[in-house]
Amino acid sequence: MKDASPVPAIAMRGLTKRFPARQRDPRAGHAAAAAEVVAVDHLTLDVASGERLGLLGPNGAGKTTTLLMLSTLLAPSDGTALVEGFDVRRDPQAVRRRIGALLAGDRAVYRRLTGRENLLYFADLYGLPRAEAAARAAALLDLVGLGERADDLVSRYSSGMRLRLALARTVLHNPSVLLLDEPTLGLDPDISVRMRAQIAGLRRERGTTILLTTHYMREAEELCDEIAFIKNGEIPARGTADALKRQIRIGDVIALRLDPASGDGLAELPGVLRCVFQDGRVECTVDSAEKRLAQILSWLHEQGVVVRDVDVHEPDLEEVFVELAK
Amino acid sequence: MSWRSEMGRVYAFAKRNLLMAARNVFFVFELAFWPTVGVLSIGLMTRFLDLGPEMTAFLLVGTMALSTVQVCQLDVSYALLFDVWSKSVKHQFLAPVEIRHMALGSWLVGIGRGLTVFGLQALLSWWAFDFDFFEPGVLALGAFLLGCFLTSAVVGLLVCALVLLFGTRAEVSAWATVNLVMVFCGIYYPVSILPEPVSTLAGAFPLTYVLDAFRSHYGFAPEFSHPLLMGFILSALYIGLAHWALAAAVTRCRRTGLLLKLSE
Repeated sequence: MKDASPVPAIAMRGLTKRFPARQRDPRAGHAAAAAEVVAVDHLTLDVASGERLGLLGPNGAGKTTTLLMLSTLLAPSDGTALVEGFDVRRDPQAVRRRIGALLAGDRAVYRRLTGRENLLYFADLYGLPRAEAAARAAALLDLVGLGERADDLVSRYSSGMRLRLALARTVLHNPSVLLLDEPTLGLDPDISVRMRAQIAGLRRERGTTILLTTHYMREAEELCDEIAFIKNGEIPARGTADALKRQIRIGDVIALRLDPASGDGLAELPGVLRCVFQDGRVECTVDSAEKRLAQILSWLHEQGVVVRDVDVHEPDLEEVFVELAK
Repeated sequence: MSWRSEMGRVYAFAKRNLLMAARNVFFVFELAFWPTVGVLSIGLMTRFLDLGPEMTAFLLVGTMALSTVQVCQLDVSYALLFDVWSKSVKHQFLAPVEIRHMALGSWLVGIGRGLTVFGLQALLSWWAFDFDFFEPGVLALGAFLLGCFLTSAVVGLLVCALVLLFGTRAEVSAWATVNLVMVFCGIYYPVSILPEPVSTLAGAFPLTYVLDAFRSHYGFAPEFSHPLLMGFILSALYIGLAHWALAAAVTRCRRTGLLLKLSE
């Protein structure tokens, strides 16, 4: 892992992206007025060198647009974004040399080329010496489990294989900053586990800075040192998963297995914030487990419901996410 | 940036275009079928109309210029179209490459494919219609082919700019634009027969001058003074403008997000 550097690997200051949106005037029946959609609104955020930061937020919060601006594919409307000190607007080529980006829905590799040819093509674009490129391509194809299919046309790959090839392409030139937009979206669970292991390995072995967006809380907890919530272009909370759970204090969770599996009326008890029924279990979020556990058990006893199992724990990251997204 | 890495990037585009072209049966039609049909149908028409050797030369020179420009400009257009079809446009622009790498690499493959088409048509013309394409000499022939390839670069770059401005709706321009250009350049007739102001407009196309210069070796009086020089000056000017237009289109795409829409 790299030593922490005072200069952040990624620095965003007031980063803003506005898209023009044509609005139709129903009376006129033609494009009558132009409005703007603000996808990212004055976002300020730093990612330290070697850090793995997860960017979480509801749909439309601006996570993907932020990554696209950092990758130079989308020009910011306002504000600045620096990657290792290079401005994405003023020095995009220097930024491109330093980043690897795996973007959402990114299964697009050349289907008429083999896996190896795809990697060698991109190695040439990044100026890797021929011998080094061949060796790195072979090593990466093995790493992502495509070594035996390296010389097959990509048109014969499954979508999971194409994504693994895309990941290999993303890290081919040894980028010091990785931008990963929902890297395991739509993958089978076993492939997701392998992908996460490969991403974690990159940081461990090379100290790569990683900025990652995901909808999977488990992935965020597993891969990221810190998590930043983005909402309406602002970061209302940032910290480690544990710190966030403490910071966004939304109570405790009492999980119960009941016989019969019915707890109608539980949510109406004082101090019970909400109850979720799933697979014969009920999970109640309460203001304080210490205060409410006895009250709930007593009420259930009065109702003639047998409690088979009780578990008390802190809310997980998903519940913190729901709370912040409100 | 070193020459080595510059050439490496150009080589990457050239190799990609070559590999992808070689694996698509449709490209056999571009390289062999349509050029053969073109030269045979025009050659047979000259027989039917009982045209003399000069008029046959006039028409076959036009036919071969059309085929050569068409094939070569398609390769320059493919520099972007391959990415549009593979939904890979964003990857191209994520890499530290410039338009010159993309254009030059693709153009080099286009020259190779253009020379193949030209060679095939020259052989057919000689065998079927006794037309000797090498009669004007190697230098004149080289200048003619260079003029065709430069026109191809202009058309190909403009097609790429159009695709980046208007999205996939503009794909058809890859096949249509060159035919529009050909109307003005005098493929099957001298531009002097065009009505005003179209004949004046014809003078704005570099291929008009390149054809005029080459046909002069087959007994046709040149319609322009210093046609080759004019053709090359205009080509250089238009390549510069087309490159600028493509760069501006890429910048606009990064602003509007079209670069991403082309990858979806």
